[in-house]
Amino acid sequence: MPRIEQAPSQDGNNPQLRNLRPSPRYSALSLLRARFASGPYWRALWTGRALQPAYDVVIVGAGGHGLATAFHLARDHRVGSVAVLEKSLLGYGNVGRNTTIVRSNYLLPENHYFYEDSLRRWERLSKDLNYNVMYSPRGVVDLALSEDELPGLSRRGNAMRLAGIDAELLDVSGLERFCPELAPRRQRRFNIIGALLQRRGGTVRHDAVAWGYARAASALGVHIIEDCEVASVRVEAGFAKGVETSRGYVKAERIAFATAGHTAAIGTMLGIPMPIETHLLQAMVTEPVKPLLNTVVVYVSPGHGEAYISQSDRGGLVMGGHLDGFPSYTREGRWDRLEDVASGAVEVLPQIAGLRVLRQWAGTNDMTMDGSPIIDRLKYDNVFVNAGWCYGGFKAIPASGAAFAQFLATGTAPDLIRGYRLSRFNTGHMLDEPGHGPFPVRL
Amino acid sequence: MTQLVCPFCGPRELHEFEFRKTAASAGGTPVERVYLRVDHPDLSIEHWHHVRGCRAWLVIERNPSTDAICRVRLLGGDAE
Repeated sequence: MPRIEQAPSQDGNNPQLRNLRPSPRYSALSLLRARFASGPYWRALWTGRALQPAYDVVIVGAGGHGLATAFHLARDHRVGSVAVLEKSLLGYGNVGRNTTIVRSNYLLPENHYFYEDSLRRWERLSKDLNYNVMYSPRGVVDLALSEDELPGLSRRGNAMRLAGIDAELLDVSGLERFCPELAPRRQRRFNIIGALLQRRGGTVRHDAVAWGYARAASALGVHIIEDCEVASVRVEAGFAKGVETSRGYVKAERIAFATAGHTAAIGTMLGIPMPIETHLLQAMVTEPVKPLLNTVVVYVSPGHGEAYISQSDRGGLVMGGHLDGFPSYTREGRWDRLEDVASGAVEVLPQIAGLRVLRQWAGTNDMTMDGSPIIDRLKYDNVFVNAGWCYGGFKAIPASGAAFAQFLATGTAPDLIRGYRLSRFNTGHMLDEPGHGPFPVRL
Repeated sequence: MTQLVCPFCGPRELHEFEFRKTAASAGGTPVERVYLRVDHPDLSIEHWHHVRGCRAWLVIERNPSTDAICRVRLLGGDAE
């Protein structure tokens, strides 16, 4: 690991935080040492640094994907100087707004190989980062509430098994054994008649992912600069030279946008329309209750409702569902959609009907016209984009970071992300996983 | 945003309406027309359907950064 010089911290807002030493490598020994150490126990996870005038790679966006990319650039490709520029706070965007679900139960080969690579990385991420991201392989069950939904689930399960990914089609008694709260004896308007289970799917503590990657990247010398908004890209002779930011001009050999949720606006900034609309997705959490749900319940049924439900470690039921359904950057969310999602959740779990909702929030999503992400060059040879994650970007973070870093370092996209090229919209090689044509919202 | 004002029905709840597509075309080729979107953080011109109401097709000009409605008119109506 390279030696890092302590640069003066630039976020001088909090003198207590400023004087914290960087965190040591975590181990049983470091825990024991902390127990008997005098002075403050807390350590800064990443180091505040002054913005330098030039970097090899500038990554725009300190969310999950940007930080993971920075980590892999520094660790796997030994790129000397990397900066991650963030317009607000680290992890303020979708990495802290999702419902923390990880899974690889996709139908199309390009997607299930990619997300399986990601799931395998989730399994060992805590070790890789030396930071506990609380990966909890509690299983993900996709419910069927009608005979018409079962063939779709079974087809998806078979596609996964052909690719060597675990998938089980459960009948009602199998589902009851796996998750007693989903037992058919509960009164429901429509009975649950089966489910597709991926046992290795589950949840990961989302904030810990941002913090863990930031800590590991910072320890490898990556500069993480918060409160630094990129306003434009400076171009000379058809080549991007650097970015104009709210803290001044930064020269960069390569520029990488990992700004999912605002990539359509980045396209506008560069003067290229993108196959993206920006929509809101809401989530909410109920008051905490005793352990109720031992798995992640997914209920997506056109015409019935849509809900993703899991129980957080604190006991609250975390729920998400439909998009709000029209372009918006407000991060507020519409109230009738909250009701839709809650009623979908109550439809499959009637026992939670009396719970009160504690909080509701929304994030902006890059909704692409085929529902699959975009990882490619953008307009200039040295400008790269990692975008279009729709409402599924969280689970993709480890694979996306590794693949995007390889792309940035070598200039060649690894096979894993070949299907995610922007040109697929011109050549007709769409990855239309949801199967509803060139619209981000199911009609 | 909780309501939209339909030129026929007056102010109605948002759930009566469905957003269909941003109205501005990103260019002339089929790929541009079908797949690419014009995105302005301050102004979005959109096609909406009053599907659970009078079923009129509307052109709505909104500010997607604040969700403020600037203008609602009928699709194919005046100046369309």
